[in-house]
Amino acid sequence: MLILTRKLGERLAIGDDICITLLEIKGSQVKLGIEAPRSVEVHRQEVYERIRAENLASAEVQSPDVSMAEALLRNSR
Amino acid sequence: MKIETTRFGALDIDEGKIIRMPQGMLGFPESRRFVLFPHKGGSPFFWYQSVDDPGLAFVLTSPFLIVADYKVDTKEALERMAWKENGDDGNYELYVVVNIPKGSPEKITANLIGPILINNTAHEALQMVVAESPYSHRFSVVQA
Repeated sequence: MLILTRKLGERLAIGDDICITLLEIKGSQVKLGIEAPRSVEVHRQEVYERIRAENLASAEVQSPDVSMAEALLRNSR
Repeated sequence: MKIETTRFGALDIDEGKIIRMPQGMLGFPESRRFVLFPHKGGSPFFWYQSVDDPGLAFVLTSPFLIVADYKVDTKEALERMAWKENGDDGNYELYVVVNIPKGSPEKITANLIGPILINNTAHEALQMVVAESPYSHRFSVVQA
């Protein structure tokens, strides 16, 4: 991992078209400004991981369980 | 067009029904083409079967069946996909990814922070990432 030290207001360039600015430091929190092309997805890692984990789990679901869930919903509504 | 699937065997699909996902589903970037069909006629659940990977299928449902007033800001998604908000290319549907643990249908959950926005006119879709959301990624579908 590349580790760089930056001061408030300083920037990091990643390639030609991604730029990260250190906007604010408050206690243990830092605020970053990210400029990137639309094709580059930028997400908080934990949100991305949650969605990925749910996708992985859904891809394991078997057809009989879908039928059972369907019956359960029909009876509970 | 015939496709092979692990769960459903060989399927004869209408090529016009194929939904393209330029970015794929999160965690599955290799699969870019999907077809959507109901689990059974009239079922609230749908299979989102990969055309590129026979073994890959997700279970989806409508978020509005789970939270009647489900709301999500699609502005960024529309921009990313270069779709117009309204007009000729604006026939949109929202789905959410469902998880049913094996043998425990009562533990069914839906991920309300990663909805799939389908543009039925363009035959394209993307999975959104909703960072600031009042909803859970494991929303209990069956209320205890």
